Amino acid sequence: MSPQVRTPPEPPTDDELNTYIRMRYRLLGIDISVLPQSDEDAPMDQERLLENARSILREDAEAANFQIDPQFTLPVPFPAPFTAWTGEGAP
Amino acid sequence: MTAHGSGVDGRVRRTLARPHGAGEGPATAPPQDARVSRRWFLERMAWVGSAAATGTLISKAPAAASPRGASVRPEAFAPSVRPQALDDLTELTLSESMSLIRDGVLRPADLVNAYVDRIEAYDGVYQAYAARPTREDLLTEAARTPAGGADAPLRGIGLAPKDNFYTADLLTEGGSLVFQGFQPDYDATAVSLLRAAGGLVLGKAQMGNLAGGRARRYGTTISTTRNAWTPDDERYSPAGSSSGTGTAVAARLAVAGIGTQTGGSVIGPGNAQGLTCIKPTFGRISLHGVIPLSYTRDHVGPMARNALDAAILLQVLAQPDPHDPRTLGLPAPPNYALAATPFGGERPRGRWPTSIGIWPGYLSSDEGRVNELRAAFVGELERNPAVRVVPDVRLPDQWEELTTGALGGSHGDPTAFFIEHLRRDVRDFADRLPRFLNGMLQSADTYVKVQQARQLLLHRMLTQLFTQCDVVLTTSTGPFDHTGLPVMCMPIGFDTDAETGYRVPRGTVMAAPPFGEERLFAVAAAYQAVTDFHLERPPDPS
Repeated sequence: MSPQVRTPPEPPTDDELNTYIRMRYRLLGIDISVLPQSDEDAPMDQERLLENARSILREDAEAANFQIDPQFTLPVPFPAPFTAWTGEGAP
Repeated sequence: MTAHGSGVDGRVRRTLARPHGAGEGPATAPPQDARVSRRWFLERMAWVGSAAATGTLISKAPAAASPRGASVRPEAFAPSVRPQALDDLTELTLSESMSLIRDGVLRPADLVNAYVDRIEAYDGVYQAYAARPTREDLLTEAARTPAGGADAPLRGIGLAPKDNFYTADLLTEGGSLVFQGFQPDYDATAVSLLRAAGGLVLGKAQMGNLAGGRARRYGTTISTTRNAWTPDDERYSPAGSSSGTGTAVAARLAVAGIGTQTGGSVIGPGNAQGLTCIKPTFGRISLHGVIPLSYTRDHVGPMARNALDAAILLQVLAQPDPHDPRTLGLPAPPNYALAATPFGGERPRGRWPTSIGIWPGYLSSDEGRVNELRAAFVGELERNPAVRVVPDVRLPDQWEELTTGALGGSHGDPTAFFIEHLRRDVRDFADRLPRFLNGMLQSADTYVKVQQARQLLLHRMLTQLFTQCDVVLTTSTGPFDHTGLPVMCMPIGFDTDAETGYRVPRGTVMAAPPFGEERLFAVAAAYQAVTDFHLERPPDPS
């Protein structure tokens, strides 16, 4: 039996992401509707905020592709602190 | 000469005008970066990443100066004073001021008056300060014997901490509506250390909104602080976010100052205003009592007029603080002032043999004279017999992947501190709102990977970059902020700004492995001993 080839789902549209973002903030009790909808003279408006938030979500999804070798460990000082548990390296 | 007589008389000039030369100095041990275990630093930074999620990050106890006191040694005191600095006390460097006060030649009150005169005359234009004490308060404080007594090297020295350092006697507003009207009931540890060493807070320096961008009127896009080199034209940015401290020091409205850096906020204004600044290794200076952005990336950084002045401030501030666990358990600070002292007689050279790597692209800027100035700087380094230049260092594996996008960021960090403020009114965050909301959108998977990627990046910087060289000349501080490695800037020449036509300083960025501050100071001191870009004074407002 040949393995089934799955088609990845369509990525969300900007509108779908906007709905998700607004919902997330509402859930947290954060009200972004107090910002002007779109006003380039204002220090911040909803349009710019959502645009930034969408890019963060898409960046976040890309980061999921990053895989660190699960067997990778950083080198630690030697003798390692763990020797305190075993008594090894005691003066 | 001001109404308060900001000068030194001729008799004193003869006493002070000792020949200035770079002595061989005492033999010194290898610099600290060569003696510290890089594996230990890797492990420590992994602990910091873990500690960020444990809730130990905000201590409510009052800050206190270290009982060890400031260990500033004789090298910190200038052996001579430049004649031109004797006509106007605001021209004295920190080191020169310390020497004159220690020797009883200069009264702290005279220095205070000289700076307050200048602030009162010009800060309406520069807008470097957000809040200031009265002249009377400063004079009273200057007259008081500092807690450190004889061990108070900063006695009478006027300083400009950024407005995100808590001060018990002045508002701390962080350049933002979020903290408008906030009056802490204690000093940040860094401020208390400066004061314990005799330093005076001339004012709280304006800053970019919640430590981002250039200083503006709170909650607006209207710029405030001017670049000290273009006081008559607001278009040329003082850079941020330590804008006010940078302008105050460059415009001679303070002897020196302290800023903070999470992503270039000390080095940026330093280079924009011809200053010598250092962002030390993570944990070297306490962050207790500093409005936080990130538990893992925030740093305090001295901003000064030359390498020796920056070294002196670092010496005073590099203390373990029981209120900030990130400062505990570090190797004892070495003698930074000695490292920042010219070494090698008539033609100063680096104090230690040092290989200096050139970042890819460092010598191919297309901005004004930047490339020419950098090439001249590298040429000067090549004339230094202690320096070996390593052209085009090879970047660590997966550099782009590990330093950009979500993996190179810290989205969750500021969000974690500010949820109640965000619920109150998002408009208070103004242009910085996205930065503070972003963390709410980041997945746990990404957060874990950011921490892992940061450790992997640090590991590769130590094993792949800093095995090629001891110091690297670079164009960006981001990866070094992200991994807690020391970074320094200093001026290397002047250029004409394309938009305004003004003559403005250009600087360089140098980075080093963990605890490489001595190495950076030594490179800067050797360069500043044979150049005078760092001594040039910006024009006064017209």
